Amino acid sequence: MSNLNPQLKKMGNYASIFLLIIGFCLIIAEFFVHRHGEIDLEDLFIFPVIYGFAASVFIVVVGIGLRHILMRKEDYYD
Amino acid sequence: MTDITPGILMIIAAGFVPYLPHHIRQIFMLLAISLSAFSLTAGAGVHWSVAVLGQELILHNADNLTLPFGIIFHIAAVLNVIYGWHERKAMEHTAGLAYAGAAIAAVHAGDLITLFIWWEATAVTSVFLILASANERANKAAMRYLLVQVASGVMLLAGASLYWREVGSLAFGSMELGSLATWLIFIAFGIKAAFPLLNGWLQDAYPEATILGTVMLSAFTTKLAIYAFARGFAGTEYLIWIGAAMTAFPVFFAVIENDLRRVLAYSLNNQLGFMIVAIGIGTELAINGAVAHAFAHIIYKALLFMSIGSVMYRVGTAKATELGGLYKSMPLTMIFCIIGALSISAFPLFSGFTAKAVIMKAVGYEGLVFVYLILLAASAGVLHHSGIKIPYFTFFAHDSGLRPKEAPINMLIAMGIAAAFCISIGVMPTQFYQILPYSLDYQPYDASHIVGQFQLVIFAMLAFTFLMRFGFYPPEIKSTVLNSDWLYRRLIPQKCMPILNFAKRCSEFANMVVVTSGKKVILGTHYIYQHPITGPVAPGPAAIALLALLMSVLLLVNIFS
Repeated sequence: MSNLNPQLKKMGNYASIFLLIIGFCLIIAEFFVHRHGEIDLEDLFIFPVIYGFAASVFIVVVGIGLRHILMRKEDYYD
Repeated sequence: MTDITPGILMIIAAGFVPYLPHHIRQIFMLLAISLSAFSLTAGAGVHWSVAVLGQELILHNADNLTLPFGIIFHIAAVLNVIYGWHERKAMEHTAGLAYAGAAIAAVHAGDLITLFIWWEATAVTSVFLILASANERANKAAMRYLLVQVASGVMLLAGASLYWREVGSLAFGSMELGSLATWLIFIAFGIKAAFPLLNGWLQDAYPEATILGTVMLSAFTTKLAIYAFARGFAGTEYLIWIGAAMTAFPVFFAVIENDLRRVLAYSLNNQLGFMIVAIGIGTELAINGAVAHAFAHIIYKALLFMSIGSVMYRVGTAKATELGGLYKSMPLTMIFCIIGALSISAFPLFSGFTAKAVIMKAVGYEGLVFVYLILLAASAGVLHHSGIKIPYFTFFAHDSGLRPKEAPINMLIAMGIAAAFCISIGVMPTQFYQILPYSLDYQPYDASHIVGQFQLVIFAMLAFTFLMRFGFYPPEIKSTVLNSDWLYRRLIPQKCMPILNFAKRCSEFANMVVVTSGKKVILGTHYIYQHPITGPVAPGPAAIALLALLMSVLLLVNIFS
């Protein structure tokens, strides 16, 4: 992230704000749409919101942990 | 004409490809594919069989399951020809056309021996797509790839032989796990489908192939295995758990991988998991889901490989650490890449949504809550590594300083067609579902499903943004991430080396003993011949005549006694 040029940084900021607005709208939509999933658990209030966010964080955290175990130099097999 | 197995004409045509001038060759290949596709109109039934050694080999069998795979394999073959139009060397085109033809012919095999022949043909033809990279790294990867693929074929043949002894038939139909025969066939399919721990070859070999080669490879081999499972092992419960593991494991590896073509190879593996789960469930709804997903997946995965391939064609690398900020230089490639990313992430209005929804419905319908949750988490994972990571690190992220030209026109056309398919499948699910093996009355677009899916993907994206902004997202690092191929590339050679050294020493010792003893015997014989112990030695011809006389006497005694 250190050598982000200003234009890319600005684009990133706009994208983040856009995502936050959409995210907010989707939580509001929960009050107006009778959302039902394929399993009962999915019917819980804003379940996909929490699950999508938590699963993503979990994957990245485990990925970082795996890096300590599985990462080798680029020429490891050469 | 339609009785000829689809794909065979492509294999024959591949033999002429090296001798044709560049543009005519590309047109010739398109014609060959079109003629081959004409055989798909033959309708259901056995259209061509031959009797060999008392066995009936069914070369062309068509039904509701072969048709969607036949269609999508032909579409993929056409896309490959267009995408590779700029390539003047014939090697990749020859191998690619024969490879696609072999995969299509394999889908139409009605017996296990015919399947085996085409199964091996896909391995032998596709290895040239890796060898075409013409560097030492690729050569080694190609040999490992070939070994694994041939091992799969040998297991299939062994399983087929045992199966024939067991049930007295070679027909390729539904099988039940239980005997050695069916287990061998199951594992043979599992190797090609890149099951967990059997998957190393995929991430090892695909990124080492040429740009065009990787696009070609992504379509056929693994989806042939998916087809084989759908025909042979639908409803096998093990597949549900194997598939669930397949969706989950590659996600973690993809997050930390630096080579973007390898990231896509992991994501390919993860997508296969969804199909394997569905085949494991085995209901009509689930098989429809598996086939729909295979169909959509071939196109969006090809699109993603094409877009990264185009970038690689222009800048010579697919490493995330060396890319970034290309959105201005290659805007069309970026748009196509994002369409592929939205499709694989199952955004509503894109193909992944309409295909994956059927699988999720089937899983939910069976009440497999745990599996459902794994698939849901894996969907978020797909979004991370293919939906965001691929376009983000290539076209945005940091400015790499690279200012390449836009991709060549033929690449753009191929990507444009693939993108059009992704959107068409996404917006016209009813028409798409009509090509599936069983009738499907399902509408993925209702407010509940759309809101739920958007919530999942948007908040997964927000998680990425959050992790990136606060510096928690693992930075791209030039590295090698160990995968299951480490077992046979490092662990086994290392652990087996002392045993091999011992065996080598034993062999040298035995060799020495034999050679020394042999020399002594020869010298001894020579010495005795030169120094007879008693009397004069009979001349050679006389000794042979005497021996013949003695043998005749012994023979006569033996006969008359």
